[in-house]
Amino acid sequence: METSLDRLPLGRAARIIAIDWDALDVAEGRRLRELGLLDGVELTALHRGGLFWRDPLAVAIGRMRIAIRARHAAAIRVVAVDPVAAE
Amino acid sequence: MTTAAPLVALVGNPNAGKSSLFNALTGARQKIANYPGVTVERKSGRASFADGRPIELVDLPGSYSLTPASLDEVVTRDVVLGQQMGDRRPDALIIVVDAGNLDQHLCFALELIGQGLPVVIALNMIDMALRDGLELDAAALAAELGVPVVPTVAVRKRGLADLVAALDEALRSAARGSGVAGDADQFTLHQRARTLARAATLRETPVRRWTHAIDRVVLHPVLGFTILLTLLFVMFQAVYAWATPFADALEGGIAALQALVVGALPDGFLRGLIVEGLLGGVGSVVVFLPQIVILFLFILLLEASGYMTRAAFLMDGLMAKVGLSGRGFIPLLSSFACAIPGIMATRAIPDAQDRLTTILVAPLMTCSARLPVYALIIGAFIPAQTVGGTPIGLQGLILFGLYLFGIIGALAVALVLRRTVTRGNTAGMMMELPRYQMPRAGDVLLGLWQRAWAFLRRAGTIILATTVVLWLLLTYPKAPEGSGISQVEYSVAGRIASGLEVVVAPIGFNHDIALALIPAMAAREVAVAALATANAVEAGDDDAVAAALGDTLAGKWSLATALAFLAWFVFAPQCISTIAVTRRETNGWKWPLFMVGYLFALAYAAAGITYWTAVALGLG
Repeated sequence: METSLDRLPLGRAARIIAIDWDALDVAEGRRLRELGLLDGVELTALHRGGLFWRDPLAVAIGRMRIAIRARHAAAIRVVAVDPVAAE
Repeated sequence: MTTAAPLVALVGNPNAGKSSLFNALTGARQKIANYPGVTVERKSGRASFADGRPIELVDLPGSYSLTPASLDEVVTRDVVLGQQMGDRRPDALIIVVDAGNLDQHLCFALELIGQGLPVVIALNMIDMALRDGLELDAAALAAELGVPVVPTVAVRKRGLADLVAALDEALRSAARGSGVAGDADQFTLHQRARTLARAATLRETPVRRWTHAIDRVVLHPVLGFTILLTLLFVMFQAVYAWATPFADALEGGIAALQALVVGALPDGFLRGLIVEGLLGGVGSVVVFLPQIVILFLFILLLEASGYMTRAAFLMDGLMAKVGLSGRGFIPLLSSFACAIPGIMATRAIPDAQDRLTTILVAPLMTCSARLPVYALIIGAFIPAQTVGGTPIGLQGLILFGLYLFGIIGALAVALVLRRTVTRGNTAGMMMELPRYQMPRAGDVLLGLWQRAWAFLRRAGTIILATTVVLWLLLTYPKAPEGSGISQVEYSVAGRIASGLEVVVAPIGFNHDIALALIPAMAAREVAVAALATANAVEAGDDDAVAAALGDTLAGKWSLATALAFLAWFVFAPQCISTIAVTRRETNGWKWPLFMVGYLFALAYAAAGITYWTAVALGLG
């Protein structure tokens, strides 16, 4: 299943296949890279901030958890990996 | 080498446990100042080698790389590169990494090692990594990196002696390790970091079980919000309930001192100055120390446990609606203690317009200096009863309401500002959600002590000076004997207040309040001291010693006036220090003047509406 990170179901593990750097400004892109959101990296969508809005989104990358906005997540293309590995 | 102590910088990612390590190495021997020209805090302190030679340590702001995204991170880069004004380049670096997050933290470490300074790596929080099922080989990592790697547990002071010994060794040695050159991209850094982390890992289980389980509850869209609101509610109830015995004891102590002075000195200028001006004025503010300490205790605990970022996460969606970000939640929450550290904490917000808006609304968060005013008025006018058979106190509920009123005001103002004067991109929020941990008592106590001391220093300087000046203005010129004119009305302050009263009378403010508003510009809590001083002068010092200020006011003011006074303080920009720090943070007078203007307008309107409504309801 290929989708953007903001549409990835919670609890589902996925691998980043492409990031649309043009959709992010320079500083945002750099911070994403510093936090380890890079091509080929595996992550899991964990939580959303509220019932009534999609912001923000918490994802697990390796042993770290980070929070990003849905707008950033929309710029990240992912492909779901084996669902058994997600939990 | 000179005989001067080597300058060593502690540097690393946010959440690597840097501050705890700094506290553990320096103890309470810390100096907090600002870097010249910017308002980034410079924390320095002394540690020592095993043989007693001193080390000068500086704690640099947490960063992700040497490419800065905020003012804090600019300082970190400049210090490491030796470009920081007023600081020499460090002789060595202690790079602090979270042992449980090497994939991430080694990236910055590699970049730092590449700078060619002597380096020691503190493999911090090694106990937590182990608890999470991660077993690491420090020696293997050291061999790969070519620099010493020392496992530490800062909060338990473990590994500190080894760290200092390794630092001593590194300063003597010419070895510089194999980092990555300054122009490396993040992709290369992350790949190298991952390879290194894998090589150093002996055994690993995949998840952080504790953090995972807690987050499931705490970040739940419904449950999480309920917990957050409950926490805030309990916090404000506690500020009232727990502080009372301590505040009563302080009050009793001050009254005893006053009685002592009254007994020891003849009636006259000196006795009046000490009893009414000094003890009456400063004493009425110092009484609030217990409440301020309790509030800070909660804030420090939430920060140290890792919950504060979860609160930011939960609030981000809501804050995005008004054009702010969850990143602004921490500065705004700190503003509940005091807007000054809150405004200074906005430096961590990368987006300029987002940051400016957060600064402009920060004074709407109910700072601890307003607490004395609220506590006095609520104590005097709101009965100490519970609400409809529940164990919820009415006084605490009103206090909670005032805080809520400030928050709603801030959100509304932010919404308007973001569509008008601070229009711009919607701000982004990206942050790490650190692992939960037990706050360390020593770190919390040190933080509490630093805050309490700052409050007492203010009480001893600004507040002392203003209450004494106010007492002089209230006491002179002396009303003619037997004329029947009240001393307060006849004094210089009384005449200034009479002029001001014309402006504030429509919103229900009496002469007392007009008088209190003047010195409250210096610091809000002085309003209480001013009311105390004015009523003491009027009553004559012997009566004032006996009568509590609250009872006096309850007899003089209407409920409508009291409520209007509370509403005024929700908005009024009455603190010169806040205005000054805003000027410094925004580099000019434009924004502080704007802030003062809009806040006064709001305060006047809010007090007016409250007063007129209350009068219409028959509470006048």
